[in-house]
Amino acid sequence: MRDFTWKTVLFLAFFMMMTISARAAAPGNERCMNCHGHMDIKGPAGMKIYIDPVKFAATTHAIVGCTSCHDRVSKGHPGDRYNPPRAACGDCHKPVFDEYAKSLHASKAGCTGCHNPHEVRLPLFVSGDDINRKCARCHDTRKTIQSHSTWLPQADLHIDSLPCITCHTGSRDYVIIMSIESRLPGSRNDFKISSYDELAALAQAADVSRVIDLNNDKLISLAELRDFNHQLRGRNMRLWGMMVPETVTHSYQILDNRWDCSFCHASGPKAAQKSFIAFPEKNGGYTRLVVEKGAILDILYGTPDFYMLGTTRSTPLNIIGALIVAAGLSFPVCHGFFRFLTRKNRKENNHEA
Amino acid sequence: MKHKEMVYLTPMPVRIWHWLNAFGIVTLCITGLQIRFPDYISVFGAYKAAIRLHNTAGAVVSVSYMLWLMYYLVVAKSLMKLYMPTLDDLKTGIFRQAFFYFLTYFLGKPNPHHSTPDSKFNPMQKATYLVIMFILLPLVIFTGVLLMYIAPLRELLLLLGGIKMLIGTHFLLSCCFTAFLFVHIYLATLGHTPLAHFKPMWNGWEEEEIDDGSEKTR
Repeated sequence: MRDFTWKTVLFLAFFMMMTISARAAAPGNERCMNCHGHMDIKGPAGMKIYIDPVKFAATTHAIVGCTSCHDRVSKGHPGDRYNPPRAACGDCHKPVFDEYAKSLHASKAGCTGCHNPHEVRLPLFVSGDDINRKCARCHDTRKTIQSHSTWLPQADLHIDSLPCITCHTGSRDYVIIMSIESRLPGSRNDFKISSYDELAALAQAADVSRVIDLNNDKLISLAELRDFNHQLRGRNMRLWGMMVPETVTHSYQILDNRWDCSFCHASGPKAAQKSFIAFPEKNGGYTRLVVEKGAILDILYGTPDFYMLGTTRSTPLNIIGALIVAAGLSFPVCHGFFRFLTRKNRKENNHEA
Repeated sequence: MKHKEMVYLTPMPVRIWHWLNAFGIVTLCITGLQIRFPDYISVFGAYKAAIRLHNTAGAVVSVSYMLWLMYYLVVAKSLMKLYMPTLDDLKTGIFRQAFFYFLTYFLGKPNPHHSTPDSKFNPMQKATYLVIMFILLPLVIFTGVLLMYIAPLRELLLLLGGIKMLIGTHFLLSCCFTAFLFVHIYLATLGHTPLAHFKPMWNGWEEEEIDDGSEKTR
């Protein structure tokens, strides 16, 4: 009990320090962003020193403050041409850093190879598509589809519906994240995730979740989802689902059990109960709203364009199918029964035993 | 007094198609069951093996269907004659045949239809096969092809209402085929011997019982 009390006090003290430092860091950030937040800023030898102020403001790093990582900015900056050093990611993120260092990917790219520290967000605020776009910067999507096609049926569809980290890390606790996608009317191009501005125009409100969440209770009901999907028809829009891990790890590896399709496809309907809609925000991030439990399993219009073989089968459809099969089976059973009872009639007439 | 007569009812190309089709459809039903319920059924081991076999069997059934259609349309030129019910079939034939299956059969009365090479199917068979061969089978093949190539055929999928619409249609059609299989196999045992209708599907010849008083029975 005493131990618990000490831990609570320490936690509160740490939290207060963080809050104070965050508040203190805000003016510092402003000073930095006065120059670095302008697109026309140029660094020495073409070095990119522009920081998108909207994207940066949405990161955890903005709360920590610029000077937490860039702690040796000289008094004469920038006139003295002294390039201030940066903190190493491992200084704060040691467990993740160590986990990643042991992985196959560590020799190929450092942390900033995938995560821009001035734009990085928690997985909760990132779409599956964002993750795959990071991977595609080095791993050409066409070649990735080709290499996966040698063993994975419909590799193009899988790569479109799964962030790479779903199979290539030890990430776990999968959920279905759906995004609203659109394309220009009459266009046959690929769908892209709808921007905040597009959805704001559609919702006629600043809160873009209103395009689906009509009663604004911050929960997407099955009825709301069905209504929305009916509205999408003919608008060149779709609701695209991806299976995304909730608990993300950096243990990049090729996991043996991911070669086995049943890892996902035989997990049963109970595994596909949890789903969210990811709505874009002005700052480039996403806000997730919870979807009514089991909506993914709806027979038709819950998620008309998302289906995982074996896992998201609909129970009412199974019952209808079983009734059809049972009707077929009942004919030989019933007819056969009466056939057996009346066999003497046919023997007397000398045909059919 | 009755005597037996052999009638050449089923030409070899039709027999080859029939068994290829039968084998393919049974394979599709079993693999389809594993694909939909992998957490309960694992007949073919790995899930991927079931999918590959399902796709292969689907391709075999599709090709054999095309060959069947070509044979009857181009070579035998008897497609309409054999499969299209006549007005008489629709007005009275179907009811007469149903009356036989559901009542007079049990009373020991003979089958009102006698198979000949030009009239192989009774009116009920004609109507059933017409629906199966010209509506259900093309539909199940069409939905199957779309589901095999979801990403490349995305536009068509969107036009038809999305993946779930196709999966649902494909699944319910496959249930219809499974139901049909039970009825089809059982009805094939209703000849004058339980194997009488199976033999012509193997060697082409059907043994017809001919009554000297010109009354035929099956």
